Formats: sequence, C-alpha cells, structure tokens
Amino acid sequence: MATDVQQEHAPTTNDGELPVLGIDRRRAGLGTVGLAGFIGVWWLAALFQPAYVLPSPAVVAEAAVAEFASGEVLIALGQSIQHWIPGTIIGTTLGVAAGVALGWSSLLDDISSPVVRTLRPVPPLALIGFAIAWFGINHAGAAFIIAIGAFWINFYASYGGVEGVSDDLLDVARSLGVDSDLALIKTVVIPAASPEIMTGIRTGIGRCWMLVVAAEIFGVPGIGRRILRASNNLQVDVVITYILVLSVMFLLVDTAYRAVQRRVLVWR
Amino acid sequence: MAMSDGGGSSVQVSGVSKQYASEQGTVQALADVNFQVDSGELVCIVGPSGCGKTTLFRILAGLEPATRGEVTLNGSVVTEPTPNMGIVFQEYHLFPWRTVRGNIAFGLEKAVGLDGTDRDQRVQQLVDLVGLAGFEDSYPKSLSGGMKQRVALARALAIDPALLLMDEPFGAVDAQTRERLQAELLDIWQETGKTILFVTHDVEEAVTLADRVVVMGRDPGQIREIVSVDLDRPRSRGDAAFGSYSEKIRSLIEN
Repeated sequence: MATDVQQEHAPTTNDGELPVLGIDRRRAGLGTVGLAGFIGVWWLAALFQPAYVLPSPAVVAEAAVAEFASGEVLIALGQSIQHWIPGTIIGTTLGVAAGVALGWSSLLDDISSPVVRTLRPVPPLALIGFAIAWFGINHAGAAFIIAIGAFWINFYASYGGVEGVSDDLLDVARSLGVDSDLALIKTVVIPAASPEIMTGIRTGIGRCWMLVVAAEIFGVPGIGRRILRASNNLQVDVVITYILVLSVMFLLVDTAYRAVQRRVLVWR
Repeated sequence: MAMSDGGGSSVQVSGVSKQYASEQGTVQALADVNFQVDSGELVCIVGPSGCGKTTLFRILAGLEPATRGEVTLNGSVVTEPTPNMGIVFQEYHLFPWRTVRGNIAFGLEKAVGLDGTDRDQRVQQLVDLVGLAGFEDSYPKSLSGGMKQRVALARALAIDPALLLMDEPFGAVDAQTRERLQAELLDIWQETGKTILFVTHDVEEAVTLADRVVVMGRDPGQIREIVSVDLDRPRSRGDAAFGSYSEKIRSLIEN
C-alpha cells in the first residue's frame, strides 16, 4: 500500500533564497566581491570629484562615526520608527482587509470600483496637505502618508490573491460544511491567498521605508528630515550616512520578515 | 471501523435537463436524464467526453442548477453542496496549506463539529483506511497523485456522507495506481456500506466497479441504457463475461 510515494525531500530553495539557517557560502563570497567592487568604483570616482558632489567612502565613514557618536543617528531612527511602525501596521491591515473584502464580494467591488479607481492614482505625497490639516505636523501626520502607501500595495496584492482562489476549493469547503461567507473567507480564501498577501506585505514594508523620507518633508523629525537638512547644507557625506542607515534597517526588517514568511508558507 | 452504517441512501434523478446559451445558439448538454441509485449501491456513469457527464456530476453535487428536473437525496432536493454528500474530484482539490491530517480533519471540524481526541482518533482511522499511515504530517505538494486521491477520499468519507460522489477520481493517475485504487475503493465500499456514484469515461473501470452502469451518449447528452453487471467481485478483466459487458457498453456508447 502506498508504494507510489514520491521521494520525500527537504524543501529546496529553488528560487535562490538563502536557507533559513546557514548561509550559502558561494553566494556570500560572490556578494562580498560585488560589494567590494562597488566601493572600489565609488572610491575611484570620488577621487575626481569635490566632496559636496561625491565624498569618498572614507569621508562617509568618518561622518557616520561622528553621527553615531553624537547619538544623532539613534535619535533620528527612533523618531522615524514612531511613524513608520504605526503607518505600516495600519496601512497594511486596512489594505489587506479591503483587498480581501472587495476581492471576495463582487457587490462591494462594483460599489467601490469608481471610488477606488479615482483614489488609486493619487500619490501619497499629494496628500501632505491633508496630513497636516487632519493630523498636524507630527508622527500621526507622517504615519498617515506612510499608511496610504502601504494601503494600496496591500490592497491590490490581496485583491489579486483572493480573485485567484480556485472555485473548486470553495466548492469542496462548502461540501464539507462551511456555509457562511465569513467562514469561507477564514478557512479557505485567506489561507489560499496567503502567498500573494504575504508578498504584498513584504513589498509594502519596503515601500514604507522609502515613504519615511518623503513623509518627513513637511517637518516631522526623523531620518528623512535629517537627510533633507544635510542636503540643504551640502553635507553629502551625512546624506549618504543616513541613506545607509535606512538601507540597513530595511535589510534587517526584510530579512526577519522573509524568515517568518518562509515559515508560514512552508506548505508551498 | 466506527463508520456509522446509516450511510446508505437513495438518489433520485428526475427529468434532469441542462441547456446552455452559446454563440451557436442553445446547446442541449443533458436531455431528460432519469435514474435512481439505491441505498448501498455502487453505480457508475460512463460516457464519451462531451456527453454531459461532468455537467450531470455538477448538478448531482449541487454545484450548478438543472434547467429542468431535479435531484433528490433521501427525499430532499439538492440545490447546493451539502455535507450529506462527499465529493471527490479528478484534480483532488486538496487544501495545499493543510497537511494530510489537516485535510482529512477539515470536514470534521466544520460539518461535524468534532474536535480534540475524538477528531484525532477519527482522522487516524481514516488515514489507516486509505493506507496513508506515516504521511499524516506531509503537505499535499510532496504526495503523488495516487496518494492525493486517497487523501481526498478520506476527507470526503470523514463527514460520513450519505452519498459518495466521484468525478473521474482515478483519471489523473497511472494505470497501475488506478487499478490499485479501484480495488481499495471496493474494499472501502464494502467496509462502509456507502452509496457511491462514480463518473468515468473508462468502460473497463465501470465494469470493474459497478453494480449498475448508466451508459450515456452525446448530442444531446442522455442515457442510452442502464446495464446491470452481474459478476462476482473481484472481477477480472480477462474473463469472457467481463469482455462481453465491456463490448456491450462500448457499442451502446458508439451508436
């Protein structure tokens, strides 16, 4: 019995992602080479440019040390996180909820489609006026801008995921006693759409880090504000320092998220 | 086995017709289909592709409405999928995010409301019944076609339905696996006493399994004849009697 068993094997990392534990040495090695090459080219280019156009890596390192030593980096990071986290969480939650609801219910979809299509092309930054009027120049205002960005990415990812859920799975669930819409959404639609939903969340997290900079344009303190101020003073080395801080933060959050995602989607 | 044997039931298909509107005008997919399945009986519906047997399956399962006529299960009209009917599709349609155990337990949680150790025991019985011991924690992606279909069968049986409705369930597996699954299905049928309605295009499969074979033809999809197969089980394809049943059914289809 059951001899037609496929060879069971550990899930392979077929899309070139790192295994959960242990790092692929070859990839790590090549990555290091690429990084060193990038810094080398940067250094070379910086030799022929004044520091207010392109500072050398060494100059940036000095600026970074100074910014960290003065505590400026941690302060700015702490400020940005105070609107990044609520903005991302609120925008993601509402976006997923709206995407699932409209992807599931053609009635809701028909009702809201004109509104959705009108609002969709509005860039989050165009809403800065509203952010100031409704929330003020504070973390809540910046969180609002960030949430708008997260909302649309998650809305469309979830909407698409739900639309793609096979009718056959829903039929099977109905024949197994799931009869209400809410129960179907909970037991079939969300699990079936979870790969798309989780990819949307990941894209949204990245987009929100970018929006942190933009959302601080109107005066909310944080990394973005610091970058703008340094730009105005032609302190390019400081600008690059904070850009790197943003990159590292994104990398950390994204790596942690991917580990969670792999665990949740182990069935794929 | 702790299967309740109230699983027997009777299905009545009365005057079922189905028309589709298409670009070439109205298509008559099914024309006045009438038959009944008695409690505990194993009936196969066999016919060529395009004879409307999948449409008939979907109407039987309550997945789509008939244009005219109705299907009743134990006297009540079928209008939507119901836990009184266990459905098994050719393409398995397992829940990929659930393990073998989770798939089989699905209906127990939703339809029967069983949980805790009662549920676990029942799942284990079903795992053993379909021969998947050792694979309880595997996800569908790592199972072969034959194993997936065993899971689908166990999942449908879990809710102890009055009728097991199967649409070409062994159509997607290789020939050896198909024969083994057929033998297993007969064992399970005998063990549980379920009423089974089994759609297939494979004449030999129908003769191997069925008490009676509903033979369908196309243009329009309708019943040509209902053939009782009076052969002892297990049936051997090499038998002369088996061959003459097959031939008879084949000639009914081709006419």
